[in-house]
Amino acid sequence: MTAENPPDRLVALGRAIARPPVVAGVERTSPMAGLERRTVGFVDVLAQSIGAVAPAAGTATVPALIAVQTGSGVLIAVALAWLLAICVGATLNQFALRLAAPGSLYTFTTKGLGSGAGFAAGSGLLVGYGFIAMFGVVGAGYFLQSFLGVLTGPWAAAPWVTAALLVGVGAVCFGVLRRGIRLSARVTLVIEFASLLVILTLLAIVLSRLSPAQLAAPLTAAPPAFGGVIAGTAVALTAFVGFESAASLGREAARPFLSVPRTIRWTVLGVGAVYLLSSYTQLAGAGAFGIGFDGGQAVARLASDTDVAAIGTVLDLGLAASFTACAIASLTALSRAVFTLGREGVLPRAVGRVEPLRKTPYRALALVVPVTVAVPLALHLAGWSPWQSLEFLIVVSAAGYLLAYVLATAALPAFLRRIGEASRRTDLVACVAAVGLTAVLVTYLAVSTASEPVAVAVVGGLAVLAALAYVYLRLARSRALARAGMFDHTTSSDLLGGS
Amino acid sequence: MAGQDAGLTGRQPGAVHGALAVLEEVARAGPGVTAQQVSAHLGLPRATTYRLLNLLVQDEYLVRLPDLAGFALGHKVALLAGLAGVSGPARASDQAAAAHPASASAPAEEPHEIVVELRARIRGGVHLASFRDGVLELVDVDPDFPLSDERRLLSDLSSSALGALLIAERRRDPKPFAARATDAAPGRGCFAAALRDPAGALVGGIALAVPAQRLAEPEALLELIEPERRRLEAVLR
Repeated sequence: MTAENPPDRLVALGRAIARPPVVAGVERTSPMAGLERRTVGFVDVLAQSIGAVAPAAGTATVPALIAVQTGSGVLIAVALAWLLAICVGATLNQFALRLAAPGSLYTFTTKGLGSGAGFAAGSGLLVGYGFIAMFGVVGAGYFLQSFLGVLTGPWAAAPWVTAALLVGVGAVCFGVLRRGIRLSARVTLVIEFASLLVILTLLAIVLSRLSPAQLAAPLTAAPPAFGGVIAGTAVALTAFVGFESAASLGREAARPFLSVPRTIRWTVLGVGAVYLLSSYTQLAGAGAFGIGFDGGQAVARLASDTDVAAIGTVLDLGLAASFTACAIASLTALSRAVFTLGREGVLPRAVGRVEPLRKTPYRALALVVPVTVAVPLALHLAGWSPWQSLEFLIVVSAAGYLLAYVLATAALPAFLRRIGEASRRTDLVACVAAVGLTAVLVTYLAVSTASEPVAVAVVGGLAVLAALAYVYLRLARSRALARAGMFDHTTSSDLLGGS
Repeated sequence: MAGQDAGLTGRQPGAVHGALAVLEEVARAGPGVTAQQVSAHLGLPRATTYRLLNLLVQDEYLVRLPDLAGFALGHKVALLAGLAGVSGPARASDQAAAAHPASASAPAEEPHEIVVELRARIRGGVHLASFRDGVLELVDVDPDFPLSDERRLLSDLSSSALGALLIAERRRDPKPFAARATDAAPGRGCFAAALRDPAGALVGGIALAVPAQRLAEPEALLELIEPERRRLEAVLR
């Protein structure tokens, strides 16, 4: 026995185990009580982030969108966006290591910079998640319609089919989300990996048919203009957004301080690699087959040009599923943010209720899902094509996301100083992320003013609305604002000797 | 952020020592100790300390308190009981016990026999506690009458008669016995009699779990257990 004895220095630990100390300031329940706690496994947490990013949908559509900005600079833009996303992920992970917050970036910002900046980040986050969810609904409807068209012929192109599909996708999302986080996460993950597999297979087929000269072409392209690259980086970054959404499962995740940061890190790294590979393949393939990069159909047209049209049809279904997964994951994160705001009293308290048996924030869901369907439906009724709607929605969403990212990354140094854990390395990474994001946000809005003036106007309108809402809260509900920053803190059952 | 993977390899022996040192420091300093304090007390670089603290929080051996700056021991630490329990003699009584290997793991044999005799004679639970170093520790819990809430008994001194003895002692107002109704079980109560060394210092206590109405005459209870109480005082000195 003596040889295996640990050193004497565990004396205090032994005493603490025998007589657990009384810990002041720890309550029995957390302000986030009602949501499931510490039950969702790592795979499901990973599914949340992957679903929100929707790499399959991003892979298929984003290279084309980047090419509009920066012709030959697509690869550089994707690589830059990847680097920036890694910095943002590392910065947000410093928060995710320390607090489990369903309000994710909203709560992080509030903890660092106070309720004013927090409210701005929260508004950005709601817009980001909300519009990306609409993006998912429209995209799912669009590719489903395309799939139905191949199967059944021209009647599937009728406007009422579009409307019915939008409502149908929304209903599916609501049903899955209401059933609980585990089902939504599983559905998301299966969908996303299946569609990603289809796309990667297709890309592998394309690559295998190219000559060495054609393979080298994307790498030897003429150097792009600097402004175009920044604009392209901004667009490329929109394909990454959502990677942070695992943070919204802070309460629901088992071992959240492990699974959430790991998910964020893996998602950014993996998704970036897939984007780089697929952008390269699409560039090489499009160059070789003389396909233009427009209408977001590059992948499908590569499919038909390489005699694998059947894959193209399956791809429509896979993309529809991927967009649905994106909508589900974004609505998950959105509903948790709305739920947090309801618990704090910043939004009406009713949206902070949960369904007792399923432990899902059904009031928040009942609020956000109808809006998510109503806006795309309105755009459809106004005569916009699905592709127009997608371009509009992604711009608004990206602006919201980028604002939330900027504020949350800028909040980290203040937060770490407050708890006495600042370090030069985290400060530096946060600074790089915040400055880079600010540059991207400004460029993105400037570029979009020309291509999507309506979207930029909507962003401006939403900003004014948020400012007015903040003024109202300061005047009428300052106590709710003072409560802002609620998170799933340690409860007595987490403590040694707790029950 | 290296080293967050669960698998422990032989290349990181320092991390294990560091983690144990951090746990011990949090236990020593008490709930609410901050990362900077841990770093300063242990003389570890700050970045290393933050990483170890965050690792231990990830694995739930430590928790952050709601202010996010302070740390406390998490529920998983109970899994280390074996490790910490053999962590070397901390008390004089343990040293004495270590001299007699046969009784090293059980409470000293003599007091246990006396307590068993008392249990055979009395209708109700009989528990023996130690107050060495001014802390309440249950030495011999009656297996037939489990405690209603052992954790609370140990952490909230005002909840039990044994705790009340210790509180009185700390206030320099020594009492020969104390009685308390049990919150968790209506109609039940506990009575505790002090065990003192020849110098009069409180070293232990016998607790009786009895129906609450018997607490009305504590002197009678004291009288009832007096023979065994004296014998215990004799062996515990």
